[in-house]
Amino acid sequence: MAVSVDFVARETGSNLWRNKAMTLAAVLTVAVSLSLLGAALFLRQGISNATVKWQHGVNVIVWFHADSSTATQRVIGEELTQNSYVRSCTYHSQAQDYRAALKAVPATAASVLSASTTPASDWCALSNPQEATAVARTFQNSPGVRNVQYPSQAIKNMENVTHALQWAFIIVALVLLISSSVLIVNTIRLAIFSRRKEVSVMKLVGATDWFIRVPFILEGLVQGLLGALVSVLVVLALNWTIDGVSSGNITSIVYRMRLSGADLGWTLVMVVLVGLVVSTVGSGFAVRRFLDV
Amino acid sequence: MITFENVTKTYKTGTVAVRDFSLVISKGEFVFLVGPSGAGKSTFISLVLREELPDEGRIWVAGRDVVRLPHWRVPYLRRNVGCVFQDFRLLPNKTVFENIGFAMQVIGRPHYQIEKQVPQVLELVGLGDKAANLPEELSGGEQQRVAVARAFVNRPLILLADEPTGNLDPVTSEGIMDLLDRINKTGTTVVVATHDVQVVDTMRRRVIELGDGLIVRDDARGTYSTSPGTGSGGDRADTYRAGDVRARGAGSRRPFSRTR
Repeated sequence: MAVSVDFVARETGSNLWRNKAMTLAAVLTVAVSLSLLGAALFLRQGISNATVKWQHGVNVIVWFHADSSTATQRVIGEELTQNSYVRSCTYHSQAQDYRAALKAVPATAASVLSASTTPASDWCALSNPQEATAVARTFQNSPGVRNVQYPSQAIKNMENVTHALQWAFIIVALVLLISSSVLIVNTIRLAIFSRRKEVSVMKLVGATDWFIRVPFILEGLVQGLLGALVSVLVVLALNWTIDGVSSGNITSIVYRMRLSGADLGWTLVMVVLVGLVVSTVGSGFAVRRFLDV
Repeated sequence: MITFENVTKTYKTGTVAVRDFSLVISKGEFVFLVGPSGAGKSTFISLVLREELPDEGRIWVAGRDVVRLPHWRVPYLRRNVGCVFQDFRLLPNKTVFENIGFAMQVIGRPHYQIEKQVPQVLELVGLGDKAANLPEELSGGEQQRVAVARAFVNRPLILLADEPTGNLDPVTSEGIMDLLDRINKTGTTVVVATHDVQVVDTMRRRVIELGDGLIVRDDARGTYSTSPGTGSGGDRADTYRAGDVRARGAGSRRPFSRTR
């Protein structure tokens, strides 16, 4: 059957317009819930960016002098593995650290880095993370060691707070997402009711079931998309704000929370996808349940 | 064109709407369905459109086995059956042109066809100058003409009319029946369920009288009641039974069938 695209588009458009108040309510609820979801995803990404070093059980990082010899580094490495508090260590060469550093700093700062001036390092997991200070003190002044790094209390606190915050956001977002699908169900139900005459005429003259359903499903989809669009703007604004607050200071932990292009893209795609799913489920249910074809 | 074979339909409430109902309506016939309210006229129309399925029996409409028709084919069945109702069922926010065009649009007819055929069918029903009017700006008779135009614009094989003159005065009714007669002359099978004595008696076409879900009378050139004007036709209810009628319907007695 040749479904006329402009007919479907016009029907959907006039449905939305006739149902302005409900549409606005649905769009706003979708927007708020998706914004919260986007913020939760953003926080998760941001925190993992800011604390990327301290993942996979890494508790202590020993940085060598850039000009220290491999032999010295090997000695320290052995001492580390023999230390009773240390479970295991991974050696990062100068080249590896250089590549990691390039990713961590903005392009403008990257030019001052070079592989030969970047220190090599040993990344160690401890059997008891509480002993990080003791381990650091032991190796602080060993020959060839530039400095020993371990996560500060600030980072730990931040991780805890954001972790809790992230879950709070996700729970609120879920509740709001459920209410937005219910709102979409209701909006579509109203639209079906207000167009019952059209629907009965369409059935009578032999419009196919899907021809009757599609404008209603599209209506829900458009509401979901509009809501998603608003929340995309919110997430983008969040990213700009973080850039602005840290004003490009690369040592600031807030700056390190900003998302790379790929991470940001992923977050936005997730937000839009969830919006589409919620609205399709809502309008699909309404059409199945209330549209008698 | 429409064949019912021993059809029984009982509603959930326990009301038996039609029982062991058999009938043949041939291509090109003009048939009146008469009988008191609750006699089964509306059920007959619902069954033809497959708004309802029978409990027993078989139904063919326009060559399709309606009972066994898969759900997704039902719209294609309905494209062969135009419908007109007592309450017109026009869309109040669409103009006359759009109301008729809508029936073409929703079955996927292209724009140029709509632009061409709607004015033609409006001429046919005598409303060539009302295309831009809204239904509320028209008289009842004119609204019913629009409804007929909408039912006919897709050239159905069958036109069903449920009390088409129920809301109209006698003169206007005559005009509508005249229109249905002209549509019938194009080869379209027309079935009119009605209470309108005058209309039936003037037209003198095949009359099928229903009573209590049974066919009580099937006259080739009938009147509304067995003795015109007296309005009492129930006395023959016992003499004709469904099986009887089926034998006649399927047999030679099809005076108005047109062969084209």
